[in-house]
Amino acid sequence: MTRPDRREATQIRALHCALGQLSRVDGSAQFSLGDTSVLCGVYGPVDVKIYDEKLDRAHIEVKFRPDIGVPTTKDKWTESAVRQTFEQLILGQLHPRTLVQINIQVRQADGAVDAAAINAATMALVDAAIPLHSIVGAATCAVLESGAVVVDPTQEEVEQARSIHTLAFENKTTGSPAYVDSRGDFTMDEYNRCYDLCATSVERVLAFMRSAIESKVSKESKLSTT
Amino acid sequence: MTDVRVVIPGDIIDTTISAEDDGAETAVLRLGPGLAQVGEEISASAAGVLHNKEETHQWWVVSNRRRYVAAEGEPVVGVVVGRHGEGYRVDIGSAQDALLPLLAFEGATRRNKPNLTIGAVVYARVVVANSVMDPEIECYNSNTGKSEGYGELTGGFMFKCSLGLARHLISAKAPVLNALGAQIPFETAVGVNGRVWVNTESPETTVLVVNAIKNSEYLTVKQCKQMVRELLDKR
Repeated sequence: MTRPDRREATQIRALHCALGQLSRVDGSAQFSLGDTSVLCGVYGPVDVKIYDEKLDRAHIEVKFRPDIGVPTTKDKWTESAVRQTFEQLILGQLHPRTLVQINIQVRQADGAVDAAAINAATMALVDAAIPLHSIVGAATCAVLESGAVVVDPTQEEVEQARSIHTLAFENKTTGSPAYVDSRGDFTMDEYNRCYDLCATSVERVLAFMRSAIESKVSKESKLSTT
Repeated sequence: MTDVRVVIPGDIIDTTISAEDDGAETAVLRLGPGLAQVGEEISASAAGVLHNKEETHQWWVVSNRRRYVAAEGEPVVGVVVGRHGEGYRVDIGSAQDALLPLLAFEGATRRNKPNLTIGAVVYARVVVANSVMDPEIECYNSNTGKSEGYGELTGGFMFKCSLGLARHLISAKAPVLNALGAQIPFETAVGVNGRVWVNTESPETTVLVVNAIKNSEYLTVKQCKQMVRELLDKR
């Protein structure tokens, strides 16, 4: 089987990440998976509206904007799923009565947008130095009509797919996924194959994230030059 | 500290206290910013450079950020945003505005209080900072009653920078301030909340100093001196 862009079924697209590109936010990151590109800006901890104020932890707000048009119902669903993921991840009890706002803007959509959004949000939170349990990485798998499982599908493959699975994992060896989103018709066997493929792909994503963070920290603390 | 270790959130840190110290009265593990206890293990919660002091079993992570979280005893530069009966509300860049009591100035009494206008810039010290209360600041040392350099900053120019750069500037070894100070006279007040106030005799020189400080963030000592020299030559 050949994929439209001649990748292997288990091969993810080129990763790219740039931290701190936005000057007015507290932390920002641009994360790209091939032609899919997502920009995320984080404010926090900042003042919170009385209505949203939590006495024992920070309130976490996620805003997801698609590349074209106004947010649809699907985008609102992504928003709430991403919020739930990061509510588990952020040590909100360290900053009670504050707000952590995560703004996600899709710049270019070519499949696996949700995975890119989660990766961008993680990197932006790290850039903003919001206290986190750990970092999460996400990957998407698609089950094609033929039953073949491919990782990191492009938009063309997403349109032909029978089901799409996005999973996110923390950078810890144990534990269940931090985020699962499955759409379409699939068998348990297909799901398990997607699970395994996502898990191995996320390892690569997390290793990439680590090196991106390390180079940012080295630059700031002038480690490379002294 | 010889080996430099960069940690990212979720990294498990081995803080085991060596056997000979174990059981001694000093063998208490002290965790600073960027570290959290998860179950039995110590894990990093922020990305940065890991530091530790062997003798006192202190561990902390130095990371850069842009948003200030108030901590007791830190000097900050703030802007007065409001006034009410017993004090001023001052924006110091943290989630909540800080309270500056009217009597927290050198020589202030109920009859003789300072009169700050909205928009005034003040240099103050954080005296109350915890997660459940709004921060409180004061413009004098309450033990001695002296201002010790704190108070309203008149004239000059205030700008924002990252907290890492502000901490670096205040550490007294900042090459950019030394290089500038050797050539031109200027006044500066650095707040660890990422706000820096600069005053010189002319606006042109103020702009030069501000640009030099902003440029210095990622430069080495040598590059810093070079950059300052180039800016002064262009004047």
